[in-house]
Parts: sequence; C-alpha cells; structure tokens
Amino acid sequence: MRLGFLQTFLVVLRNDVRAEARSRQTVVTMILFGIVLATVFAFGFTSEPKINRNTFPGILWGCLFFTSVLGVGRTFFRESEDGAFHALVLSPADRGGILMAKIVMNTLLASLVMAVILPLLVVLLSVELVDLNGKSIVGLVCLQLVSGIFSFTLVATPLAVMAVTARFAEVLLPMLIFPMVTPVLVAGVASTGIALGTSLGDSHWTWLKVIWGIGAVFGALGMVLFERMVTE
Amino acid sequence: MIEDTAAPKTSGLRSSKARMFIKYIAPLAALAILACHYLIFVYAPMEPEMRAVQRIYYFHVPSAMMTYLGFILCSVGSLAYLLTRRSKYDVFAYACAEVGLVFGLVVMTTGPLWARGAWERWWTWEPRLISMSLLMLIFAGYWVLRTYGGRSEETKKFAAVLAVFGTPNIYFVNRAAARFGGHHPIKVETTDAMKMVFKTCMFTFLVVFFLLLVCRYRSHMNRAIVSVLRRRLSRIS
Repeated sequence: MRLGFLQTFLVVLRNDVRAEARSRQTVVTMILFGIVLATVFAFGFTSEPKINRNTFPGILWGCLFFTSVLGVGRTFFRESEDGAFHALVLSPADRGGILMAKIVMNTLLASLVMAVILPLLVVLLSVELVDLNGKSIVGLVCLQLVSGIFSFTLVATPLAVMAVTARFAEVLLPMLIFPMVTPVLVAGVASTGIALGTSLGDSHWTWLKVIWGIGAVFGALGMVLFERMVTE
Repeated sequence: MIEDTAAPKTSGLRSSKARMFIKYIAPLAALAILACHYLIFVYAPMEPEMRAVQRIYYFHVPSAMMTYLGFILCSVGSLAYLLTRRSKYDVFAYACAEVGLVFGLVVMTTGPLWARGAWERWWTWEPRLISMSLLMLIFAGYWVLRTYGGRSEETKKFAAVLAVFGTPNIYFVNRAAARFGGHHPIKVETTDAMKMVFKTCMFTFLVVFFLLLVCRYRSHMNRAIVSVLRRRLSRIS
C-alpha cells in the first residue's frame, strides 16, 4: 500500500514531534545556543537605545539564522543514527510528505526558539516594538519572523539530506545554506527595519511578499528535486 | 549493478578529438590573449571620463559573462544528471563550475580595482556586486562539496541539487539587493574602436573558456575511468 502525501506527512510529523517532546534534545540545544548568541550580539552591539533600534533587525535575524541552521542540520539525525533513513526512503511512503513533515518540524522548532529570543533581545537591547506612530508591531514582527523561518526551512531542509551521507557535513552544511538563504535575510531585515521606522523603504509588505515568493519557488523546487535526491 | 550504469565508457581515455582540439586551439588562444593585451593597452582609445582605469572593463566584463556561462551550464548539466543519471553530465557540471569559479575570481579581482578608481572605494553594497559574490559563494560551496565531500553517488546527487537551487537564486538576490540601489555601469564602450576591442576580448575569453572546460572535463573523466578500472582490477585479483 502506498501512503499518500497527507498520511505520510501526518505520520512523520507526529513521530518527530513525539520523539522531540520526549527527549527535548534539539529544542533545548537550540534555545540555549540562541540565548548565548543573543548575549554575544548584545555585548557586541549595545549602546544607547536609539542606536540599538537600528541594529535590532540585523541582530534578530542573525540569531534566527544561526539557531535555525542548528535545527536544520539535525533534520535526519534520528533516522541516520540507526539506519532508518534508508528504510524511510525505501518505504512506499510519499517523499513529498516526508519532506514537508520535516520542513514543518523545523519551522516549529525555530519558532519556539524565536519565541524565547525575541523577548530576550527586546529586554537586552531595550528596544520598544512600536512603529513611528507609537502603535505596537509585536504581531507584525512575529508574522515576519514566522514567514522568514518557513522560507528558511523550505530552502534549507532539502539540503539537510546531505548531512546523512557526505563527509564533514557539520561544517559544509551551514556554508552551503547561508549563501542560499541570504535573500531571506536581506528581505527580513528590511521588512523589520521598515516596520520599526529605522530603515528607508516603501513598505514592509513588499519585503514580506519577497520572503513568501522565495519560499514558494524553493518549496516547489525542493518538492520536485527531493524525489530525485533520495532515490536509490 | 550501480557501477556499470553510472561508470563512463573506458574507451573515453583514447578520445583523440579532444586531444587535437587542445593541441591546436591552446597555442592559438595564447596568441589571442597576447593580441588582446596589445589591443587593450595600446590600440583602444582613452576613455575621457574614467581614463586608464576603464581598460579593466575589457577583462572584467568578458570574465563576468564567462562566469555566468559556467554557472548556467553547471546548472543545466546538473539537471541533466538528475534526470538521466549519466555520469558524463555530472563530470560536465563539475568542470563548468570550476571554470566558472576561475573566471569569477578574475571578476572579483578586477572589479574592486576598477571601483577604487571610479567610485573611490573598493566595495559597495550594490545589486550586481552582491549577486555576483553570493553566486561565487554558492558555487564555492559546490566546489568544496565536490572536491572534499567524498565521491559517493549521494554527494553527486546532492551537489547537482545545489547547483540547480543556485540558479533561481540569481533572481532573488537581485530582487533583494535592489534595496541598496544600483549605480553599476551597464554599457561603457562608445567608439567603434572600443567595440572592436571588446568583441575581440569577448571571443578570446569564450575560446579560453571552452579550452579550460575541455581540459577539466577530460581530466575528471579520466580520473573516473581510472577508478573504475582499478575497482575491476581489484575484483579480478
């Protein structure tokens, strides 16, 4: 029996969520790393609140990138440890479903991490999340971050397959992922900066749309190519 | 067996066509490069605004074109490899990426030299510069992966996916970098003599590109063939 897209997606996702909920290995590592990063950046860049407001988008998105890449690197960690990756690939399950489940899992992990880092950075850099008119933009920044995380994982997760087979993948993977996702970083920093009123630009929605566009194109490409990538 | 379908034909070692191509085209290309130097530094008229610095243009732009050509061909070869699994496409893509990177290094060296003279700074955040440097980084990653990541079938497949991923990125990088605004010149040559020099350089670089490509392709192909032969030999003995 060949499992369909939705079924495979749900089974793999439920399995991953359950395993992570029991061990909490990846999420705890990511959060701790994120806290360390936020502190390092805060030490490196903190000055008066007005300047902090300018550096805030860059620090925020930098933290997002470095912590997310940790999660992405461990996408197939459990499978590759006991040889289950080949079993998963050999099974008649839908490959797109497997990939989508992994993408959603990585998005969930990174979103959890950012839920810790965003308030931490706001406190450390004493930046108020309001626009120039004094209106709160917490919701908007969260939307930007989640969109950015989703686009990031859409681009990076198919690449994580490499970590299963290639030599010294821990070093190679971030090196390959970062140039690929730089457009997401640029668009993310621009949209947050414009929302805060520190960057010049027409509208933060334009940049949000760029993030979504990147996600859509690379998501479709990943779905098509993943099949070819894991076929034996 | 995976090996027999993926392995290149061992008769490839004797390919005399490529050898003849290299034997006759290589000296001609060397002469053409010398001629280009004469044209650039002696024949080409002085550009009134940028003065001598403008002469870098005759090296810079053809190199940039060859870099794009190399990376695009690499993507095409990678896609063909993913679809057909013929190892010759994989070797072709690898060679294209290498040659593209070499020309890319020329671009990244001559660019700042020119910018220092024209813009009075080595580097600026400009769409063209960012897209080129990111493209270089992506394909440098591809090269490191191919060279040091092992020669397994999986690594080859993965590298091919990476190369295919890299191409739409050109568009997004350009789109994203638009926020920095652009002041990279589009067209510089104004007189017929300048156009002639530019076209000659372009043609010479194209010849050098394919010459290097054939050399690298042959060398990688021979390496693959030797490893297949060695494996067969160890099975016999």
